Amino acid sequence: MTPFIRNILVVARRDFLAIVATPTFLLFLLAPLFMVGMGLAGGMGASQLADKARGAGRIVVIADPADIAALRDADRRLRDAFTGPDAPPPLAFRVAGPARIDPAAITREKGSDTYAVMSGPLESPRIVERNADGKSGRYLALLAGQVLRDRAAGPVAPVKPRFESLQNGGASIADQQSMGFGAIFIIFLLTLLLAGQTVSSLAEEKGNKVIEILAAAVPLESVFLGKLVGMLGVAVLFIAFWLAMASGGGLVAATHVDPAAIDAAGRAGRAATTLASMPATGWPFFLGIGFLYFVMAFLLLGAVFLGVGAQAGSVREIQMLSLPITIFQVGMFSLSAAAASAPGSDLARFAQIFPFSSPLAMAARAATDDAKAIHLLALGWQAIWVALVVWISVRLFRAGVLSGGGGWKFRRGARVAAAAAASVEAASSQSR
Amino acid sequence: MSDYSVEATGLTKYFGDYRAVDHVSLAVPAGSIYGVLGPNGAGKTTSLRMTLGIIDPDEGTSRLLGGLRPQSVRARIGYLPEERGLYPGMKAREAIAFMGALRGLDWREGRRRAATFMTELGLERVIDTKIRKMSKGMAQMIQLIGSIVHTPDLIVLDEPFSGLDPVNQERLEMLVRRERDRGATILFSTHVMAHAERLCDRIAIIARSQGRFEGTVDEARALLPMQVRYTPRDQADPAAIAANLPAGAELRGAAWHFTIGDGDVEPLLARITASGHGVTGLSISRPALHDAFVHIVRQVDAGFVADEARDAVEEASA
Repeated sequence: MTPFIRNILVVARRDFLAIVATPTFLLFLLAPLFMVGMGLAGGMGASQLADKARGAGRIVVIADPADIAALRDADRRLRDAFTGPDAPPPLAFRVAGPARIDPAAITREKGSDTYAVMSGPLESPRIVERNADGKSGRYLALLAGQVLRDRAAGPVAPVKPRFESLQNGGASIADQQSMGFGAIFIIFLLTLLLAGQTVSSLAEEKGNKVIEILAAAVPLESVFLGKLVGMLGVAVLFIAFWLAMASGGGLVAATHVDPAAIDAAGRAGRAATTLASMPATGWPFFLGIGFLYFVMAFLLLGAVFLGVGAQAGSVREIQMLSLPITIFQVGMFSLSAAAASAPGSDLARFAQIFPFSSPLAMAARAATDDAKAIHLLALGWQAIWVALVVWISVRLFRAGVLSGGGGWKFRRGARVAAAAAASVEAASSQSR
Repeated sequence: MSDYSVEATGLTKYFGDYRAVDHVSLAVPAGSIYGVLGPNGAGKTTSLRMTLGIIDPDEGTSRLLGGLRPQSVRARIGYLPEERGLYPGMKAREAIAFMGALRGLDWREGRRRAATFMTELGLERVIDTKIRKMSKGMAQMIQLIGSIVHTPDLIVLDEPFSGLDPVNQERLEMLVRRERDRGATILFSTHVMAHAERLCDRIAIIARSQGRFEGTVDEARALLPMQVRYTPRDQADPAAIAANLPAGAELRGAAWHFTIGDGDVEPLLARITASGHGVTGLSISRPALHDAFVHIVRQVDAGFVADEARDAVEEASA
């Protein structure tokens, strides 16, 4: 192990332990639990609301008793084509009697939402609907047409379709693109949550003056890189913890479900994955390279934030910096997301080359493009930029903060004093 | 290996236009204890920082431990900065081991030595106490141990005595001597003359950004004439006694105070013996380092004041 790397590890070890061995870290680690909890509660509430609303909806046909059976029959057949949210609300019937029923009165009935009411002869029905051009009204029209067509054609033998699923390897481009977008989003979210902390990580050393010990004992490059590696360690621990929680949770859930259900789910799941297709480079490579790109994104953004934060003179300045930093990250996310939706375009190429969006954009590329060698190139390119950013940060830090003795403010004061001293000196040299 | 552990020549640093350090040179012989003395704000700390390569000098060079660049011998140097700093959340033993690890010492060895050092210095009570729970002086001792735990060849201490109680100052002096006996070179700055006088083999005095003196403590004291205090047995005729003494002799109480040059000791004794006024008390001594230091700094300040006065006259007449 070279002294340089050993120094990095000494600094990283200190930082890692200082962060992890505190009660606050537990809060940090468990914070997503609150998010998930809130999300679940909110989601459940919303879905219950939606379910209730859906259950209470209906469409109504006011028909002659002779037509009702035909309508019900047609409704059953048509309904097969609509699934999920597309399904029309349940159909209800009213028998048209001598007394005329007012459709508007039906819609006003309590107990359920009535989306559309059809009345009159099937050839020229009158449809009253809640939403202009709503689905329900058109469905009722379709239903009337179907009944008339059935009558004109007479009985037809029911169609007996045989369904076959498309199982070849030709993965859907749209799926791969959304996979790429998913990779971008996950990496972005993790760096947003975790990399922003680096901005304040040098503040501690500046506050308690340890920076001079560090600067005297090891090259500043090792200090900066060590801090980055320490924070990366925290981030990886965070991710590993939640991955373990997720897989553990999955296992526990699995043991509580009966085997038949697992079997069925397994078969369905396998079918789903084959249908959902693979990333162009294959799952293991995609996940591995995605992790590496996360590391790179973390190091790149972290290095920038560390360098910027090192220049800040006070905690307040660091707090002010968090907004531009978040905006910078969101900007990189938007750029990469736009690039992911247009693979092969100039924009995509730009996002892949531009160092700070490169990890995100290249992760998306791994989903749609099966070339693997290019990723080695990209990782090398990003590593060069990490080194460059650290190098520049260290130069700025040395020139600005360390040489100033007591930071920027001292320097400004010194300059005023120096100007005064210089004028005295100039005067005295004139006098000689 | 050269005879000097520190060879810094012409170190100059500007803060803006202000010349904080102006062509300061330090040559510290290997195996010696060397003091850098100077009033507050003279540029001691900046000089030491440049010597160690923590900040880059605007002019001049620094070579350590036989002509090597400071950055290349970090592991062989121990440094106690003027602004003390430790991670408050760390335990004392860990903090010392951490500082050792930064200089390339094995963690386990660092922890072991930390315990040894702390026990030796009467700090065994707080080996596993966090820094934030310690007094300032204790934390300073911890940091001091941390800066020598890796048995460095060159130890640089910036104002090591400030903030320590007399007992700990004593311990620190002991520690410095022991490190020197081990073969290390010690360079430290201070503005407390007593420590420098007791410890240093050589000293440098920095005032107003420039080096003003370099030499042994005795050489510094020799800058001033010897001080004599003489009490005659026969006090009857002060004028007659004064006639025997050099001009400027001053009578305070029963004793006469005056200064003489190095060559005048024997003639003075002869004159006093011959005068017949008798002797009840006589002391001839070198002035303390304190006086020499104040003398040098005053001279420098007087030069500046004279310049400024001349400037003022100049400006008024212009």
